[in-house]
Amino acid sequence: MKGYLLEISQALIALVLAPGLVGFVRWWKARLQGRRGAAPWLVYYDLRKLFAKEVVISKNTSWIFRFTPYLVFSSTLAVTLLIPLVAAPLPFDRIGDLLLVVYLLLLGTFFLALAGLDPGTAFGGMGASREMTIAAIAEPTIALSIFGLAVGAGSTNLGRIVAETLAHPSAAISPGHLLGFAALFTVMLAETGRLPVDNPSTHLELTMIHEAMVLEYSGRYLALIEWAAAVRLLIFFSLLANMFAPWGVAATLTPVAVGIAAVALVAKLAALGLVVAFLETRLAKLRLFRVPELLAVSFVLALLAVTSSFLLR
Amino acid sequence: MSTNLFAQLSALASSLTLLAGIALLWRRSLDAYIQAFKWQSVVLSGMFVLVGYAGGDRQLYAMAGFFFVLKVVVIPHYLRRLEEQVGAERESHPYINIATSLIISGLLVLLAYVITRPLVAVSRLPTRGSLPLAMGLIFVGLFVVVTRRKALTQVVGFLVLENGIALLAMLGTYGIPLIIELGVFLDVLMGFLAMQVFVYHIHGTFESMDVEQLNRLKH
Repeated sequence: MKGYLLEISQALIALVLAPGLVGFVRWWKARLQGRRGAAPWLVYYDLRKLFAKEVVISKNTSWIFRFTPYLVFSSTLAVTLLIPLVAAPLPFDRIGDLLLVVYLLLLGTFFLALAGLDPGTAFGGMGASREMTIAAIAEPTIALSIFGLAVGAGSTNLGRIVAETLAHPSAAISPGHLLGFAALFTVMLAETGRLPVDNPSTHLELTMIHEAMVLEYSGRYLALIEWAAAVRLLIFFSLLANMFAPWGVAATLTPVAVGIAAVALVAKLAALGLVVAFLETRLAKLRLFRVPELLAVSFVLALLAVTSSFLLR
Repeated sequence: MSTNLFAQLSALASSLTLLAGIALLWRRSLDAYIQAFKWQSVVLSGMFVLVGYAGGDRQLYAMAGFFFVLKVVVIPHYLRRLEEQVGAERESHPYINIATSLIISGLLVLLAYVITRPLVAVSRLPTRGSLPLAMGLIFVGLFVVVTRRKALTQVVGFLVLENGIALLAMLGTYGIPLIIELGVFLDVLMGFLAMQVFVYHIHGTFESMDVEQLNRLKH
């Protein structure tokens, strides 16, 4: 019972923290670039404003366009129930493992691309085709890089993997872990629409990817999509933090352990946010045709991660 | 230092050197090639110190020093100077395109795992887990030499190949005698200097670093 309660509250925490995380990364990026930057909590106000606004929809759209924001939001929310955010073996682990997480994320991406095509605008189609180009290489890489850990732990269950790494801390510097981390980090940049793959701070570029797909959305639909994108960033950050460096994750469900885990999670998210902000300040956007090369790098790394943990078991 | 920790650290350093080798395949500019080679050599000289400490072999510290001076300071410096003199040419069209060559390098490392399997199975060394990575680095270096078009990037590929050999020798034997290792170093240096002369001549004759042009010499 306590497990289920914790599971639901961790999903709520993810929902509440996610916009703050996005705002935090933006704020740090602004500071690193010598600007004052908007306050990190501005994102919450933006979301509230968008929820209150009227929705304008093109006449040429079908039900897919209206259905997609709800689907994207709920599939992302479902993922937060499945990944270890604060405590490791949780009751929902029985429902789904790594593969379900990957496919739920892909489901959201797939419907977003459909919704980009639906109104028949030039930008939507461009964004959708680009997103699919990236997703086709990125999604298997996510699965592979975590498979590298799964092979070592003997289970594709995310909770089990975390518990296993906690039990054998020296595994965290094995080649499988490191290569997998590098692979997942690169894919995270691509999947959450960050530099050097996509520029999250503008939708006025011909080379935009994510923003091009959601250009037609407004009002509460846009709010849901943006919120889901923020949660997606949080999901990837916590996968990186908790799968590869699970220290702090509560192994027992006592209030103290969970409290420590929550603090550790926030600290790890902040650290990763800082790293991403730093990278975004240092890196220029890649040419679109070089993006598959970058993703090929991360795919190869993930492949090597799986091989080394499989053969050196 | 416990054996387990040592094994993990050596695997870590070996994967970092392999990462630098793969980074070579992704980048295009000569500067990036030199950077990757330099960082790889930094990790490798750290590896010499680590193995020296774990195996209790003092000579390896001296080796680490030599290695550092030669491969982190001297050779990158000369590569840069060479680049300034003959002009930096980007590796814009390698014989095999970048995405494919990355995938092939992944397969090469898999191959390295397969062929070192018997070796890893019989070995009792704590470093045995890293042997396939070193072998993979040798293959990747060779692959760079074979598939890149510009003379200078091929030289860097050769140097990476040599780093792979040094890594494999160190992991497999805990450091071969100093005198042999010094001989190898001098060979590398001589090889490098000879290549430098070749690069000058290629540049002088063709006004370009593209080795494709050498095909014309056949007729």
